[in-house]
Amino acid sequence: MSVPVRVRNLEKNFGRYPALKGVSLDVEAGELVALLGPSGSGKTTLLRAIAGLEQADGGQVLFGDIDANSLSLRERRIGFVFQQYALFKHMTVFDNIAFGLRARPRSSRPSEAAIKSRVLDLLHLVQLDGLEVRYPAQLSGGQRQRVALARALAIEPRVLLLDEPFGALDARVRKDLRKWLRELHQRTGHTTLFVTHDQDEAFELADRIAILDKGCIEQVGTAAEILEHPATPFIDSFIEGIARREAQARDWTKPHVVASR
Amino acid sequence: MAMSDRFLPLAHTPERATSETALTRAVLIAIALLFLAAVLFLPLVTVFMEALRKGWGTLFESFSDPDTLAAVRLTLIVAAIAVPFNAIVGLAASWAIAKFEFKGKNLLLTLIDLPFSISPVISGLVFVLLFGAQGWLGPWLVAHDIQIIFAVPGIVLATVLVTFPFVARELIPLMQSQGTSEEEAALMLGASGWYTFLHVTLPNVKWALLYGVLLCNARAMGEFGAVSVVSGHIRGLTNTMPLHIEILYNEYNFVGAFAVASLLACLALLTLLAKSLLEWRFSDELAATARRH
Amino acid sequence: MQLFNRRSIALGAAALFLSFEAGQALADRTLLNVSYDPTREFYKEFNAAFAADWKARTGETITIDQSHGGSGKQARAVIDGLQADVVTLALAGDVDQIANKTDKLPKDWAAKLPHNAAPYTSTIVFLVRKGNPKDIKDWSDLVKDGVQVITPNPKTSGGARWNYLAAWAYAEKALDGDEAKVKEWVADLYRNVPVLDTGARGSTTTFAQRGIGDVLISWENEAFLVQKEFGADNFDIVVPSLSILAEPPVAVVEGNAKAKGNLDVAEAYLKFLYTPEGQKLAAKNFFRPVDPSAADPADLARFPKVELVAIDKDFGGWSKAQKEFFADGAIFDQIYRPTN
Repeated sequence: MSVPVRVRNLEKNFGRYPALKGVSLDVEAGELVALLGPSGSGKTTLLRAIAGLEQADGGQVLFGDIDANSLSLRERRIGFVFQQYALFKHMTVFDNIAFGLRARPRSSRPSEAAIKSRVLDLLHLVQLDGLEVRYPAQLSGGQRQRVALARALAIEPRVLLLDEPFGALDARVRKDLRKWLRELHQRTGHTTLFVTHDQDEAFELADRIAILDKGCIEQVGTAAEILEHPATPFIDSFIEGIARREAQARDWTKPHVVASR
Repeated sequence: MAMSDRFLPLAHTPERATSETALTRAVLIAIALLFLAAVLFLPLVTVFMEALRKGWGTLFESFSDPDTLAAVRLTLIVAAIAVPFNAIVGLAASWAIAKFEFKGKNLLLTLIDLPFSISPVISGLVFVLLFGAQGWLGPWLVAHDIQIIFAVPGIVLATVLVTFPFVARELIPLMQSQGTSEEEAALMLGASGWYTFLHVTLPNVKWALLYGVLLCNARAMGEFGAVSVVSGHIRGLTNTMPLHIEILYNEYNFVGAFAVASLLACLALLTLLAKSLLEWRFSDELAATARRH
Repeated sequence: MQLFNRRSIALGAAALFLSFEAGQALADRTLLNVSYDPTREFYKEFNAAFAADWKARTGETITIDQSHGGSGKQARAVIDGLQADVVTLALAGDVDQIANKTDKLPKDWAAKLPHNAAPYTSTIVFLVRKGNPKDIKDWSDLVKDGVQVITPNPKTSGGARWNYLAAWAYAEKALDGDEAKVKEWVADLYRNVPVLDTGARGSTTTFAQRGIGDVLISWENEAFLVQKEFGADNFDIVVPSLSILAEPPVAVVEGNAKAKGNLDVAEAYLKFLYTPEGQKLAAKNFFRPVDPSAADPADLARFPKVELVAIDKDFGGWSKAQKEFFADGAIFDQIYRPTN
């Protein structure tokens, strides 16, 4: 089900401005990787290029052994959660989640009954039982986020990509959702990449973290590796806050868990 | 963000916006109402009063005149062709402009606005220059016995040109403000482009589309200048309602002229009514569509 | 290409949405007469008379469609492809334009029918408000201070050129042909014009309906028509000491008529204008018939005797007058400065 994602020398320019300067990254099947970096570092562009929403100018993306370029968006089967969720606001929660199944060609489309049971399962998975008749406007931010996730999971994706999944939420909801997402990932085992500019989020949630700056990946590693051996002066300064809080926290609680702000 | 920051100070001093005395406000409102009464309401009342000057009998008599009926019919036919055409092409153009990046996009935007910025007379004349007997395509058309100007096709073309911007102008800003993320989401979920258009793009703009169509229709039925140039003014054949009004007026048939004018005004009022009804009936959905992020 | 026809239209509101179905099947032949503004009422009556006559003679039902507008504009439309079988315009010059710019009309069209192809004539008179409050008796009264004169723009209106030339002829006679003084006099006249409409009918409406101005320089037939439509007790007609003989010409647009298979009926249509019945109808609709013998004496009595100059004799023909007075940069452009 889950496949490894390999990114080879990916390049992308917006006009004369280079957004990705030959980025390479290996993500193992079932791994949860954070793309971390300041704004303008190219992390969202990298995510969108993997998804196929941006056409790369050079390089390659592989899902397992398959070159992503040989696949249409439909064939890529990527679950993508947008920063602002991009829920279809004229559709109910049910119709939103069912969209990917109903949009399939007639030959591979499940029956309405099968769709219904799948949607209700997903709603249960994201703990939104009973909200299927609501419209997006009638949901809280956290609820919308979970609908977007359920919608992305409905197509049984090879890979799950999340763009700033908690960016639009307030601090407390964000904290709850992080924990929940971590659990969900453990349960479903999707290869997952998520973009964030929040160091705490990346270090708490991800198996490994890729830190980007100015279109290049500066370092890839586990939280501990990066904290102990920052590869460049940029990383050093970028994670300074984290390292300090980490050090304080280490005195009285277990490692790799960051105290709340 | 920068924009809203810049306007923030205003929000902190709301009293400045309403510091005028009640008297000033009343005067301003009165001026606005008087102005509306003078330039909108009075002329409208005049139209209906003139139409009824010689009583209901004469009014209905003018409607049974075959030339008048022909003008009404021609107007409806022209609108029935021009409006759906402009709705479809306008939708396609807005979609291309709002959702895609391509070379010549600004040129296309300018072209869409062109009919608004040039005089309708010019809009009509270009067709004479193109399709007239002395025009570029004239000799070929004559050789193949095809009559475009001074016939229904020319009137339809002129109307299409003049009313083209209404749908596109209504849709483009909305589509641009809505962005492309819902479409991208649909595509990522495996939907085809066409499925995405039908199930995501179209429902999101349907009210704006309907507005555009209503406005387009009102103008299509009321267009005078461009149509006048290409009509040839053959009674009972190539006169639309606005042209027929002018003819009746010039024949000193004032009741007839104002009878047709009142019919045209009624159609315009119906359009407005339809628009208001839609706004009222679907105000929630409209607000939801307008609200974004 | 005939998309509609009158019979289907006569079916009225019920057929309103059924539109095209009728088409050619129901249609006998249809003639298109492209005319100028003031002939609307005359041709309405004349067409009915001709259709009846044609039916009686041949058994064929003929439909005559009318298009009216400024004479120059109508000629332009025919040049651009309006499928006129016959033109009945205000000026020979406009018909000449069609003959020059297309091959649809022979250059000698004026010789094809009697009286320079002008079956009726008219002249220019003044229409004033009832009782003639400004005491306007002749052209000399039009240049007085405080007199507002209504006449259309000679650049766009055929009728307006007749008005202009009549005024010019008067000034030339009154000022013994001193061209500088004549120009100044005509300039004075146009200084008294508050609204320069594009067509004769527009000026008439400005004067009669909107109540602007003290005197309307007008076709004689138009002046009578205003009296008829608005009531004789509202307006008086004043005949000046000198006026101009207007000969509105008619011609078959042979190219179109042939292509539509209408040549015989188009020729018969124009010839019918010269018959006693046609002449009588012209007189009834305030045009001076070239052959008054058949006209109603009561109609004829309405046309006062007046000294008339003629365009060919006194101005050397239309093309010369056009060049001298109305072309861009010619005399009218030199003397006319819009007020305000």
